[in-house]
Amino acid sequence: MGLLDKLSTWLGKGRMEVTVLVLGLDNSGKSTMLNTLRPPEQRAQHLMPTVAQNHDSFQSGGVSFTAWDVSGAPRHRALWERHYRRAHAVIFVVDSADHLRLVVAREELELMLAHPDMCGRRIPLLVFANKCDAPHALAPMQIAAVLGLERITDKPWHVCASIALSGAGLADGVAWLARQIRDAHLPKS
Amino acid sequence: MTSMSRWLDVEVGTDDIDLNTLPSNLALVDLQNDKDYKLLVADFGKGEEGPKLKVFKGTMQTSDILLPELPLGIVGFYTSEAIPRSMPIIAVAFSSAVYLYRNMKFFYKYLLPSVDLSVHEMDVWKQLINSENQTPEMITILQENLKAIPPKILSLQSQNFLALTLDQQLEYLEQAAELPMWKPPEITCISTLKMNSIDQYSVSCLVVGTEDGYIIILDPQTFTTLSQAKLCPMKKTPYRMITTGLYNVDYRITVASREKSVCLLKRESTEGRILFNTEEHIISIEVITADESIIVICTDNTMSCYTKKGKKQWCVNLEHRPISMTLVPVLHLGVTLVGVALTSGHVHFYEGKARLDTLFVRDVASVMRFGRLGQEEHVLIVVTGSGNLMLKILKRTADFNSSAAGVEPAPSAAAGHKPWLIPKKSKLFLEQSARERENAVPMHEAFQLELNRLRLLATRTLLDAHAKSENFMGVGAMEPIGLTAEVEGLGPVFRVTLFVENKSKERAVAGLAVLFHAHTAHYRVTNPYIKVPLISPGGKLKFPTKIEEVFEENINPDVFFRPVTGQAGDRALVKVLLLKEDRKRPVLAATVQMPPTDPMMLPFEKIQSGYQNNAVDWEIERKN
Repeated sequence: MGLLDKLSTWLGKGRMEVTVLVLGLDNSGKSTMLNTLRPPEQRAQHLMPTVAQNHDSFQSGGVSFTAWDVSGAPRHRALWERHYRRAHAVIFVVDSADHLRLVVAREELELMLAHPDMCGRRIPLLVFANKCDAPHALAPMQIAAVLGLERITDKPWHVCASIALSGAGLADGVAWLARQIRDAHLPKS
Repeated sequence: MTSMSRWLDVEVGTDDIDLNTLPSNLALVDLQNDKDYKLLVADFGKGEEGPKLKVFKGTMQTSDILLPELPLGIVGFYTSEAIPRSMPIIAVAFSSAVYLYRNMKFFYKYLLPSVDLSVHEMDVWKQLINSENQTPEMITILQENLKAIPPKILSLQSQNFLALTLDQQLEYLEQAAELPMWKPPEITCISTLKMNSIDQYSVSCLVVGTEDGYIIILDPQTFTTLSQAKLCPMKKTPYRMITTGLYNVDYRITVASREKSVCLLKRESTEGRILFNTEEHIISIEVITADESIIVICTDNTMSCYTKKGKKQWCVNLEHRPISMTLVPVLHLGVTLVGVALTSGHVHFYEGKARLDTLFVRDVASVMRFGRLGQEEHVLIVVTGSGNLMLKILKRTADFNSSAAGVEPAPSAAAGHKPWLIPKKSKLFLEQSARERENAVPMHEAFQLELNRLRLLATRTLLDAHAKSENFMGVGAMEPIGLTAEVEGLGPVFRVTLFVENKSKERAVAGLAVLFHAHTAHYRVTNPYIKVPLISPGGKLKFPTKIEEVFEENINPDVFFRPVTGQAGDRALVKVLLLKEDRKRPVLAATVQMPPTDPMMLPFEKIQSGYQNNAVDWEIERKN
C-alpha cells in the first residue's frame, strides 16, 4: 500500500478524494472497523453504538476516503438513503456469525441497491464478512451466496473476510476499493 | 401475499431439530445478559430420549440439559435489580415442583405446599386402615363412599385405590396400611408478574396455577408464598394464565380454565370470579395490553374478543380449527396483531376482526411465539407439528395499513353491521305532529316574533357593551383579557392558534391587535400582525396563524436527530404581544415555546443542501 502511494506520487498523479458510505446492521462492526483504520494513537478505547452518523477518513492506494458511518439501528436505517446520492463507494459490513439476521442484511442490501439514487450507478460495493473469527462464522463465499451478490450486475463487488477488532482483512478490502476507484476514474495512459 | 411478503424467512438447518413441545414450554430470555436473546425450549423428547431443556442461539442449538420429568411450563425472569445485572433465572415447572436454574445450572427446587385431604375422604381411609374393616363386604361399601366424593378433589392415592380389583385392594391395605394425610399438589401452569416496574429487567415474581384451582404468587428472593388465592368459588382448573400489571401496584391475572370459562383474579382478593363462559373448550387466551381486552380461540373454530369486564365484543368464525395463538405487538407501527395458526397450515394475523396478513407455513404451527430473538426485535418463532423450527422476521418496511394489506375485510365484518336503530312512533310524537299540522301559521308567527325580540335584545346588549368599552378607553384600566396559544403540527410549518378571550361580564373590548415577535432567522410568521375585531363580553376569538421554522443554509446535521419530544432550545421562543390602540405599551405578552421539528418531516432538498455545504465536494478532483 505504501509502495503504491509512493508510486502514485512519483508518477505525478495527485490524491483522489472520494466519499464512501459504511452501511450494515447494528452491531455488525462498522464503527469498530473505522476505528481500527485510524492511526493507533487516535483510536477510541470504547465504542458506543452509533446514533445518527459519524464521519472519519482514511487513505489507501493513493485515494483518501471520507467514510460516513451511519447508524444501523432499525429505526435509523430509513436515513441511509439520504446519503446515497453523494456516495462514490459503499462498504457493507455483515456480522458473519449472526446467522439469524443474514436475511435482514440481505433485505437491507436489496433495498439499497434498488433505490433510485443507487440503481444504475457503477459504484464499487465492498462487503466485509466481519467477525470471521467467531465460532460458527460463515465463510465469505457463503455470505456472498446468502446476500445474493451474484445477482448484482451493475456494480463491481468484492467480499472480504475481516476481523474489525484486530484489523485483519481490512487493508485488503480497502485496497480493492481504492483500485476500483482508480480504475474507474483514471484511464490507463 | 405472494411476492411482497412482509416476512423474511430464516433458513434453519432442520436435520437435527426435532421439537416436541407445547406453547407454554417456550421462552425468550437474554440468557447471558449480552442483549442477545436466546430461545429456550423445554422439549418432551421422543421415544427413548428424555425431556430436555434446549437453548437456541439464533437458528443453532447451543446447549441442552436433561430435565427430570415432563416440563409443564418455562419462564425466565430477574430476581434482583442490582447493577451489574444478575443473570436471569429460568424456572421450569414439573408436576408438583418448580426447578430454578441460574446460569443454566440447577440451584433451587420449590415444592408446592401440600393440600389436606377432604374430611370425607379422611373418614373413609380411617375406616379402611382399621383391620376389622378389611373384609370384602366392608370394602365394597367404603369404596362406594369414596366414589361419592367428586373425582376432582379425590387424591391420587384414592384414585389408584379405586382402580384396583378387590383382591388387589385387600393386598394393598394389608401391606401399606398408611393413612394418607395430604396429597401432593399438581402444577398446571406457570407465569411471571413484574413486581414494581414494567421495565424489561425489573424483578418479577413467579405465579403458579395448581390443579386444585389455586393461584400462588412466590417471592422472587426467598421463593416463599407471597399470596395465594382461589381461582373461583367453584372448582376450576387453570389452564393458561396471562398476568398484567404490577404486583405492588395493581395486577390482574386472567386465567383460562379447563371448564370452558375465563376467570379473573385481582390484587388483594383471595378469591377470583368468573369473567365469562365460552361455549366450547378454550384453546388459547391472550390479553391485549392496550385496553386489556381478552382474545380467546375455542374448539368451535371461533376467535372472540371480550372487554376486560367480560362483555363479548366480537367473534370471528375461522375457516379451520385454530391451534395456537400469539400476540404480535409492532410498536413502531402502533398496532398489536393477533396471530392465529390453523390446522390448514395458515397463520392469520388479525387486528381487531380485520385480517391483515396471512402466512402459509405448510405444516401445522403447534407453537407460536413472537418476540425478540438474537438482536432482532420482531421474530416469529413457529414450531410445527412435525417438530421443525421456523423463524420469520418481520421486515422493517412492513406496513399493516388496511389499504396496503390488500386483504378484504373478513365477510363477517361486513355482515356484522347492525340495522339502524329507529324508535317506534310514540303517541307523543303523533300528537305533536298533528298539532303542528293544524296550527302551522300561528306557530310560525310566534316563532318570528320571538326571533325578532331576541335579535333586538342582542343588538341592544352589543350597543351597550360597545358604549361602555368606549367610555373606559381613556381611563386606562387593564382590560380583563386572556391570551392563550396552542401549537399544532410536527413542523417545519406549525399552526399556532391564538385565543383572545374577553373575561369581562359587561364590557366589550375594541381596538386590539396581536403582534408576533420572532427571530426572522429562525421562524417565519405568515401573518405577524392581526387586527382583533370587537370582542363581546365573555366572547372568545380564535386566530390561526402559520409559523414555519427556518433552517439556515449551513444546517447542522445534529438538528435531524433532535428528540422529537421536548423543547428545541432558546431559539425556539416566539413572543406574542397584545396591543391596544393609542397605548404605547402592550396590554399582554406571552411567550410560546415552539417544539422542535420532527426530522422525518424536513423537506428533502433542505437536507441535501445541508449536506452539500457540509461534506466534501461531490466530484472527484485531482490535485496537481
